[in-house]
Amino acid sequence: MNHQTVIPGKKEQTINQAFASNFAKSMFLAILGLFILTFIGTRMFTHIDLNLYGYMVGTIVFIGGFFYRFIAWGERPPTKILIKKGMKLLFKKSTPATTVNHLVTYKFIWNRGIYRWLQHVLMGGGTILSCFVTFPLVFGWMYFTMDDNGMYNIIMIGVNVLTVPADGIIANLSYNALNITATMVILGVCMALYRRLKNNQARAEQKFMYDFLPLYLLLFVSITGLVLTFMNVVLHGFGHSVMSLIHQYSVIITLIYLPFGKLAHIPFRPLSIFAKNYREHYSQQSMKECKVCGESFVSVEQSNDVIDVLSINQIDFKQDEGFHLAELCLPCRRKYRIAQFSGAPTHQLKVKEANQNAKG
Amino acid sequence: MKQRLYIELENCIGCRSCLAACTQCGGHEERNRNYVYDVNPFVNRQTMPLMCLHCVNPACARSCPAQAIQIHETGAVLSALVEKCIGCQNCTIACPYGIPKFDTEQNLMYKCDLCIDRTKDGIPPMCASVCPTNTLQWLTEEEIEMKQKQFNLDNGKWTASMKLEGETNVRVNLPGILQGVTKLF
Repeated sequence: MNHQTVIPGKKEQTINQAFASNFAKSMFLAILGLFILTFIGTRMFTHIDLNLYGYMVGTIVFIGGFFYRFIAWGERPPTKILIKKGMKLLFKKSTPATTVNHLVTYKFIWNRGIYRWLQHVLMGGGTILSCFVTFPLVFGWMYFTMDDNGMYNIIMIGVNVLTVPADGIIANLSYNALNITATMVILGVCMALYRRLKNNQARAEQKFMYDFLPLYLLLFVSITGLVLTFMNVVLHGFGHSVMSLIHQYSVIITLIYLPFGKLAHIPFRPLSIFAKNYREHYSQQSMKECKVCGESFVSVEQSNDVIDVLSINQIDFKQDEGFHLAELCLPCRRKYRIAQFSGAPTHQLKVKEANQNAKG
Repeated sequence: MKQRLYIELENCIGCRSCLAACTQCGGHEERNRNYVYDVNPFVNRQTMPLMCLHCVNPACARSCPAQAIQIHETGAVLSALVEKCIGCQNCTIACPYGIPKFDTEQNLMYKCDLCIDRTKDGIPPMCASVCPTNTLQWLTEEEIEMKQKQFNLDNGKWTASMKLEGETNVRVNLPGILQGVTKLF
């Protein structure tokens, strides 16, 4: 019995393109990269903070989940096309501006609502800053030393980048970095939870595993982190060892959850830059003209890509008139459908679309 | 009990109540997601509504690189998940009916979600709730079957589904026009 089905026009797949091969290759390179950076950062493993080794194991498990999720996701036909073309256009002139707009200032979220923007700045900013502090500490890329003279050294990748007074502002900020970010995250999570309780759309669609669990996880991480500080400062270290383990577990569970739930949108999000570049670049190249009215409405490239993706999914919208529906502009496509229903040539009539905005 | 949106296209009088009602649905942020068209404006006053037909195999979701368009357990094809939509607009190109709308400022697609906050609990969607001419109805399978019997045509074409691109969760019907008769109300 022959199990191999040959799809015409499809290139033969080799074992090197298989999911398992991609996964193994990515894992190997990522762990090798971590190992080399750690080797350099810790000055040949002389400055490892073994108190944090749980996070190290957690990170490696996280990378496993991350590649599993993202390689599977990247195999989807539309995703594959976008990633491939996006990589080619990565060095477009407008990329830095788009990146700041999409990933730093969150302008599009501002336009969706200031409340949600603030919530994102607090949660996103807090989490990302915490990661920038935690991971370098875990892998020894950053550590601190104290001189006898009351000066405090911040050492990055084995290089002493900053020496500051141990009771100065910068030193205090670095001691309290995670306390500040935890407070930010807690405020953001509270805002998000409040919205989830009040907003009708959110209440209709939300699910515990998808929408609430990540918020509770972030809350759990932040609170246990702050409790650690409290135990150190107020209780003189009472219960610290137990709470430190609880905090470590909370972080590791969050890391394992991250690629599979709502938080996956954080590593997904840079794709919006690819999408923007893709649309901008190919729109400048050549625009598709609607087969009915002749108006340009999308790039030729995107129209063709969508037709390809649909055909991979065994969807074909080729019409008797000889065009594919993806070659019609949106108003013409809607009128064409009305024409199909009624038999009258609605899409051929040169008449302005009547009030579609419910504004009187 | 499973209920579906059922559209009797020719009943439409173009009042646009469905558009106005759509804006008032929780989470629609006062923007309607449906359309009403003049069918043959130089000849007669017939209008028809057009909304998402909630395909069983939705082209919008198939073409989405970010998996932002989810399908609810009731069969409703939901609006883009705000955290996942990356603004590529593939869905607007893929949809055979031209339904998804795109907000450039918010970098976000939005479309009919069959008022999921209502329909998941068996409450009709806003458009069907307000339609004064029964163009848009919220019916059980049995009621749709009765409609089929009522408008039984000798040519076997009781629905316009042969004119649709694939199976849809919404049922579309056009008895009068297919039969060549005008319905009286």
